[in-house]
Amino acid sequence: MATRWLGARIKRNEDPRLLTGHGLFVDDVQLPGMLHAAVLRSPHAHARLLRVDARRAAEHPEVVLVLTHADLPPALQQPLPKLIPHPTLRHHKTQYALAPDKVRHVGEPVAFVVATSRYAAEDALDLIEVEYEPLPAVVDLEEAAAGRPVLVHEDIGTNVAAHYVQRVGDYEAARARGHRVLARRFVVDRGCASPLETRGVVAHWDAKVRQLTVWDSTQAPIPIRNGLAALLGLPQRDVRVVAPDVGGGFGPKIMMFYPEEVLVPLAAMRLGRPVKWVEDRREHFVATNHERTQIHDAEIAVDEDGRILGVRTVFLHDAGAYIPYGLIVPIVAECTLPGPYRVPNYHAEFQAVFTNKTIVSPYRGAGRPHGVFVMERLLDLAARELGLDRAEIRRRNFIQPDQFPYDVGLIYQDNAPLVYDSGDYPAALERALEAVGYDRWPQEKARYRAEGRRVGLGFACYVEGSGIGPYEGCRVTVEPSGKVYVATGVGTQGQGHFTSLAQVVADALGVDVRDVHVVTGDTAAFGWGTGTFASRAAVVAGSAAHLAAQAVREKALQVAATLLEASPQDLELVDGQVRVRGAPSRSVSLGEVARAANPLRGVIPSEWEGPGLEATRYFAPPRGTFANGVHAALVEVDPETATIRFLRYVVVHDCGVVLNPLILDGQIHGGVAQGIGGSFFERLVYDEYGQLLSGSFLDFQIPTAMEIPEIEVHHLETPSPLNPLGAKGAGEGGVIPVPALLAQAIEDALDDLDLEVTQMPLHPDALFRLIRSAPRRPA
Amino acid sequence: MRIEGTHTLHAPRDRVWALLDDPQSLARCTPGMQELRPLGPEEFEAVLSIGIAAVRGTYKGKLRITERTPPERYAVQVEGTSGAGFVRAVGLLELVDRGPQTEVRWSGDVQVGGALTIGSRMIPGIARMLAGQFFQCLDEQLRNA
Repeated sequence: MATRWLGARIKRNEDPRLLTGHGLFVDDVQLPGMLHAAVLRSPHAHARLLRVDARRAAEHPEVVLVLTHADLPPALQQPLPKLIPHPTLRHHKTQYALAPDKVRHVGEPVAFVVATSRYAAEDALDLIEVEYEPLPAVVDLEEAAAGRPVLVHEDIGTNVAAHYVQRVGDYEAARARGHRVLARRFVVDRGCASPLETRGVVAHWDAKVRQLTVWDSTQAPIPIRNGLAALLGLPQRDVRVVAPDVGGGFGPKIMMFYPEEVLVPLAAMRLGRPVKWVEDRREHFVATNHERTQIHDAEIAVDEDGRILGVRTVFLHDAGAYIPYGLIVPIVAECTLPGPYRVPNYHAEFQAVFTNKTIVSPYRGAGRPHGVFVMERLLDLAARELGLDRAEIRRRNFIQPDQFPYDVGLIYQDNAPLVYDSGDYPAALERALEAVGYDRWPQEKARYRAEGRRVGLGFACYVEGSGIGPYEGCRVTVEPSGKVYVATGVGTQGQGHFTSLAQVVADALGVDVRDVHVVTGDTAAFGWGTGTFASRAAVVAGSAAHLAAQAVREKALQVAATLLEASPQDLELVDGQVRVRGAPSRSVSLGEVARAANPLRGVIPSEWEGPGLEATRYFAPPRGTFANGVHAALVEVDPETATIRFLRYVVVHDCGVVLNPLILDGQIHGGVAQGIGGSFFERLVYDEYGQLLSGSFLDFQIPTAMEIPEIEVHHLETPSPLNPLGAKGAGEGGVIPVPALLAQAIEDALDDLDLEVTQMPLHPDALFRLIRSAPRRPA
Repeated sequence: MRIEGTHTLHAPRDRVWALLDDPQSLARCTPGMQELRPLGPEEFEAVLSIGIAAVRGTYKGKLRITERTPPERYAVQVEGTSGAGFVRAVGLLELVDRGPQTEVRWSGDVQVGGALTIGSRMIPGIARMLAGQFFQCLDEQLRNA
């Protein structure tokens, strides 16, 4: 092939459009006669709804519709669908479109108003009279697990939604053999994603053709389409869901269903007019899913050489008020914990617990940062206890490159065995240590100390499950213009699919990548798929694109062979032409081949399998593929103000075959930034009444360019044997090891103090208290 | 959250009590008070328009006197709601006899919800400011009487 696009650091096809303000985000959708919705949300974390009186709101001159629970059709009065069941999830409680008789978190929708403007709709919210009987709020996770002070869902008699145990080997026996057994409690607190674009939905009902079109900032337009069809009693073919440009997804934008995702379409159908709802930032803090609170009581048993004999964690997972997304986050946490290490005996046990807080579902990392934090902290403790170098203890425990496929012995989030497909963990660590200058660190640290500066070096290793099934599909079409059109079902929220998928197809067809136009996230363009989550789009949809493009290539050769009176084996695809190898003057353009493949008269040979230069293929991986990496950083701590500053940040990342290093660098940079924010600056603080106290950017401090260092990225490539591209997921690696790394760096910077970092995020006041309470180590 | 303060009024305790016991003067001196309607001897319905941090709103609520010991102390329970959220509070007011003057000690426990939580860190400061305005107004009434 003349040009090899795959793996090239090319600029993104979509950026000229996005950077010049020509993107189409949900709020850009403007339709004639469009109405605007606003949501009345509970100000209480836990209360009975005694009375909802919306009469005065309905009388507002600009209000056209007010919905309360009583106004909903029976299908929408039920709890919304259970997304991902699990045998141990005994109480799969899901949220309501509008609360029936009780509210269970601040921000839960109580009523829905549609008016001629958002301004009027919000004014009308004030006219709705709601009588609440406040109940004690379930806020503290341990108290909640014990059923105190009350139950979030009285009918189930407990606050524990699920209790799940996974075991590998025999931890108790390993513990008995342990030269050292170290136990600690680790706490990871709540966080949220803070995408640039909040959620939004626009719905348009065409009563003449009975078709519903919905623009939704979702990561999973096809499941939304299927679910809407079921809830609204429409055939799937008459519901079109478009996830247009989406300003950041990060996990919380896949839910099925957020209440507004059914209320807006319902209102549009009732009124026969388009309806728009766009979430404001204040709503986003309480009405879009959170993640992260887990309390791990963890233990490691090691022999005298620092080899891991076993690990145990018993943890609580805060599910929030409902658990639509099932047990994905805690399962991912426990399955990520063993990481790149041989853990022959492992006991992982958790309870998922209801609290009167916003619902928890995966957010970038999705439990992985928790698992890595626990494991890396345990290894740091063990190294310190044994007087062993922290890199050395890791070297002694790595799974070796010749041990793949490596069966960890657990069942992963896709219900398939957790089997690592490939990797070279020792190489990644050595590369990171070399890049950050670990060998000469003692001298450098002493130099900083002589200047009166406290600088620490931290590093952390992780394995990132990615690229899980069940499947994605792709259709590749060459039009008579010679342009190539690609459609897939995944949605795009900034990952560069318009470029990376185009690169895959351009290589197969020998065309310029700019002549390949990709459509994602529109059910009218492609109707089968599951969505963008778990770092899977490039791997799974990318592989489907590869298979479809290969099929189109074969057909192009067949059709061109007829046109050129040559054998397909003698033809090649170059620069948009099919030509005879060695005789480039004998050629035909791909566009002409496409025209010939769809004749007006004549015969189509049976081996063409139908007309046109087009193919649809699906890719269903047998199980997930596992990327890995090591981050290392220098962090300066100011012990007086308890602030931190990253001086250097090195990422060594192995996500198999790299499709586009520029896009991959961007993924990693964004991930590290979110990781730093979630490790030190961002906090979701609840008071004892279940009120979110940090629900604005005034108090929830996302990092700016001032807090994020320059990030040095090194790519290693261990191809995955599980897909034709050899690719692995890259969406979450940037964020996963940051809490573990920061904890180690802070301890290193303050090594004259007897101080252990066991909680994340570690905001300045927590660090301040830690420093003040730490006894000085004997010199 | 717990908030408290102390003010000195320039009148003997009996006169201060009489003024505090009079819904009309309370209504006149409460910043932002638009309506105060008695529902019974110990219960009032109030409409209040105030700004808390970035959130300005009109609150409709009830004020109930839960303890009344003339001329020493009374305790109140307040519940108010607006589009911006809700406020629930219990408060205690004590009058200390200082001869020609009266020392007023007040304290309260306040819970807020809804958008108000965004500015909840500001509430103690705002409460002290509003209390200052309230007692200054009462003091002026006492002096002018």
